[in-house]
Amino acid sequence: MEMNPSGDRDPVPRLVPVHGIQGRAVLSRRRCPLKTPLSFLSLVAPVVLAGCTVASAEDPAPGTTAGRCMTCHREEHPGLYRQWYDSEHGKHGVTCIDCHGAERGDKDAFEHEGAWVATLVTPADCGACHEDEAAQVQASHHATAGQILESQDAYMAHAVGGHPAAVAGCESCHGGKVTLDDTAPNRLSAVSWPNSGIGRINPDASLGSCTACHARHAFSVAQARSPESCGKCHLGPDHPQEEIYEESKHGNAFFSNRAASNLDADRWIVGMDYAGAPTCATCHLSATIAQPVTHDVGQRLSWTLRPAVSKHQEDWKAKRTRMQKVCAACHGPTFIEGFYAQFDGVVNLYDRKFALPAGEIMALVRERGLLEHPAEFSNDIEWIYWELWHHEGRRARHGAAMAGPDYTWWHGIYDVAHNFYFEFLPAARELGDPAVNAKIDALLADDPMHSWFGRDTATIKADIRSGKLQRIYGDMFQP
Amino acid sequence: MLRTFARFVRGVSADAVGRIGVALTTSSFLVFGFIQVLMLLGLVTNAYVGLVIYLTLPALFVLGLLLVPLGWLRLKRRTGLGHRELLSARFETDMLAGRFLGSRLFLTVAGLTLVNLTFLGVGSARMLHFMDTPVFCGTACHSVMGPEWATYQASPHAHVPCVACHVGEGMGALIDSKINGAWQVVSLSFDLYERPIPTPVHQLHPARETCETCHWPDKFYGERVLGRTRFDLDDASSRRYTTLAMKVGSGREGIHWHVAAGNAVRYASVDDEREQILFTEVLQPDGSWRRYDNRRLDGPDPPAEALRTLDCVDCHNRATHVYASPEALVDEALARGEIDPSIPEIKRTALAALTGAYPGSGGADRGIERDLHGHYQRHHAADYPALAPRLDAAVDVLQAAHRRYVHPRMNVGWDPYPDHLGHRGDTGCARCHHRDMVDQDGVAVSHECTQCHHILAWESPGPFQYLLPLEEGDPEMELHRSLQAEFVGVVPRLQTETRSVGTLQDSVE
Repeated sequence: MEMNPSGDRDPVPRLVPVHGIQGRAVLSRRRCPLKTPLSFLSLVAPVVLAGCTVASAEDPAPGTTAGRCMTCHREEHPGLYRQWYDSEHGKHGVTCIDCHGAERGDKDAFEHEGAWVATLVTPADCGACHEDEAAQVQASHHATAGQILESQDAYMAHAVGGHPAAVAGCESCHGGKVTLDDTAPNRLSAVSWPNSGIGRINPDASLGSCTACHARHAFSVAQARSPESCGKCHLGPDHPQEEIYEESKHGNAFFSNRAASNLDADRWIVGMDYAGAPTCATCHLSATIAQPVTHDVGQRLSWTLRPAVSKHQEDWKAKRTRMQKVCAACHGPTFIEGFYAQFDGVVNLYDRKFALPAGEIMALVRERGLLEHPAEFSNDIEWIYWELWHHEGRRARHGAAMAGPDYTWWHGIYDVAHNFYFEFLPAARELGDPAVNAKIDALLADDPMHSWFGRDTATIKADIRSGKLQRIYGDMFQP
Repeated sequence: MLRTFARFVRGVSADAVGRIGVALTTSSFLVFGFIQVLMLLGLVTNAYVGLVIYLTLPALFVLGLLLVPLGWLRLKRRTGLGHRELLSARFETDMLAGRFLGSRLFLTVAGLTLVNLTFLGVGSARMLHFMDTPVFCGTACHSVMGPEWATYQASPHAHVPCVACHVGEGMGALIDSKINGAWQVVSLSFDLYERPIPTPVHQLHPARETCETCHWPDKFYGERVLGRTRFDLDDASSRRYTTLAMKVGSGREGIHWHVAAGNAVRYASVDDEREQILFTEVLQPDGSWRRYDNRRLDGPDPPAEALRTLDCVDCHNRATHVYASPEALVDEALARGEIDPSIPEIKRTALAALTGAYPGSGGADRGIERDLHGHYQRHHAADYPALAPRLDAAVDVLQAAHRRYVHPRMNVGWDPYPDHLGHRGDTGCARCHHRDMVDQDGVAVSHECTQCHHILAWESPGPFQYLLPLEEGDPEMELHRSLQAEFVGVVPRLQTETRSVGTLQDSVE
């Protein structure tokens, strides 16, 4: 907004367009205190802003709103206050009202001690100052994480589990839809708030929550760069990225070199500002010598390992090149190519040896109407198949993607194979259908990857020693 | 005369019991008189002597008097003789001979009875007087009253006798207190008392009759500056100042508005404990009551007689038996220099030593010394020889504080009772003044920080931090600006800010 030279209150508070979200214009009620024509007086601005944005007719002492917030909230929430006080926001004069100030008439605005405020601070609000970051987040896969109602996982959580588990479980990571409740003191429904899920659907139509990674009220960059931050959600039986990272050489090195990792530096370029180890952020988001930081988390991923059968990302070669530029900060080109050959090998192995045949058998079972109960997940074999790809198959592929050997094999392919041969195939045979049985028999007899099943150990060992068995997989070490 | 007395004494000493009675009565009388003379001459000043002469000696005196007739009756039963025959046997005839005013024996008995009554009268009066002295209350039941006695002696009311507040004026109050005291003797004898003893909030006499004899509410206090120095737990024990201008006031404004003449505030609390307030009511000019309900607490209203009208002790509930927090004690000792604040890490280490869990009597004295010296021997070995004498001084201060405030026998540790002056968490003012205490329209009772005090410094590096000019780059600049404006009435500006300094009124336009 334009500030008139005397800094007097703007009589008509205006909304400032921020970056479009998926084609829609988003309006933020916040204005950046540091990006005004007086920005060289960075500490002046919030005062003026407090006066012009928030002050209502009843304001007893214009220009002191932020201070009045602090007078009570410092006492009432000393932890929150201390986080803010020690934060970059605190050091740069970005105060309570700069983020929580609202306009009378905003959907979630309420009057509090003579000022109009809102509890919820959305990416559109943060984007009033952090424009590039907000735009990247809105375009990212993270921003879509809340739109899961149609997914198989959400079906499972609601039908098999129940709504409270979906709220406190799924939506706490994925983000829920924040709904309004006029009877609540802060006008937010208790079922939908608090929520700092990364794809939160906000009343102002923006998506996500910056505090998913930059937790309130420190909004620390160091925290977002720490692996534990991602580990709030990226862990567990279905995608144990945090555990894999801890197992990997990268994780080992990080925990040994944390103190030297310069996590709260303004500029954080791997190889220049730190070199001990990469964190999740280093590879997926942060700046390298060759590329800038991004808040669009998928931009360096070549595979999507989420579905039952792996897929290449759209424009995957460019994305792989971006990741390889990160690797190059510490690794030579042959090392990088070798790593990707090994990673692709595991992905292809899982896909071709287990995921594709299991998927075909499952499709045949459905096609022939062999399931006893109609609802999805009401039959045992569906759970077995689900765990095969959703848990074990992902563990194996993520293990290979992040150089975690134990997750690649013992928690990964080993579990996949055990499930496939001794749970999934027997469960399919139990249905007693000739077509299904014929398909399984053909697979075990004719597929060179599976034909070991009917042979004797000595000849298999001989094939291993000679390298014949390995050659079956020879074409897998490429994307 | 003396001979007559000797013959009388021989006569009434009917048997061993009677002789003990005579000896007790006579000796306690003589000792009482002797000590009383010494006290009058100023030769005996020990306060504990009062316990002996005003409680023990009159009791022995009366016991002796009771034993004398008991001996007589035992003799009578043993010999099977009548009173008259026994009298003839034990006293010479001239003692028994009838005279105009009665026999000599009768006159002796009458005379001695008069002396006894006088003695008991004077003794009782002295005893009652003695029982009104703090030293009686504080030391007669030493083990029970120890914590209260220790904190009383260190309190602002150390020169006000216990009975001035706990008994009050008038015969009714005196009788109440003696009945209550009799029960206390029983509970002490049979170990029936609670540890720690509960605060006698319901037995206290009304503040109108006690506190207000000295502190009358019409006195206008205005604003009082309250300064507190705290020391951080960092290595340097950095000094932090909190300065509040307390709006004590009276009458129409300030905190003492609550009890000013013509105003009335009453409330009901959970279990009548005065800690969790169910609702509160304020008397309106038209005689009605405006009610605020606590949204955090549900349940039916207590009976009307459980409503309590606010007086001094609802907030000043620890005006005398002040149990200082360990942190406050360490801060005060550091501020006064009794503990040297330049010793590295001293706030942290002193607080840790003071609040350690120490076993048994004397355990704390040893524990505090070992804790403090041990820390510096281990972690500051090079500086330890130079620090040792300063540590000794700190140890003395901490040991004294521990002895005063921690009484394991009575289960009195640190912070045993809530203190309702000010607000810590949900205590004190915050019992009523919080956002969930709302009237019918949902409007909360006022609970702004500056309602009761201006804030001139708040854990700040200087004692009047917020009266200094604004400082660029200070995260608290906005807080500073707001608090200075609240106190001074003018919104302060940075030098670089374009707006001229004006009053609040000016800046509204």
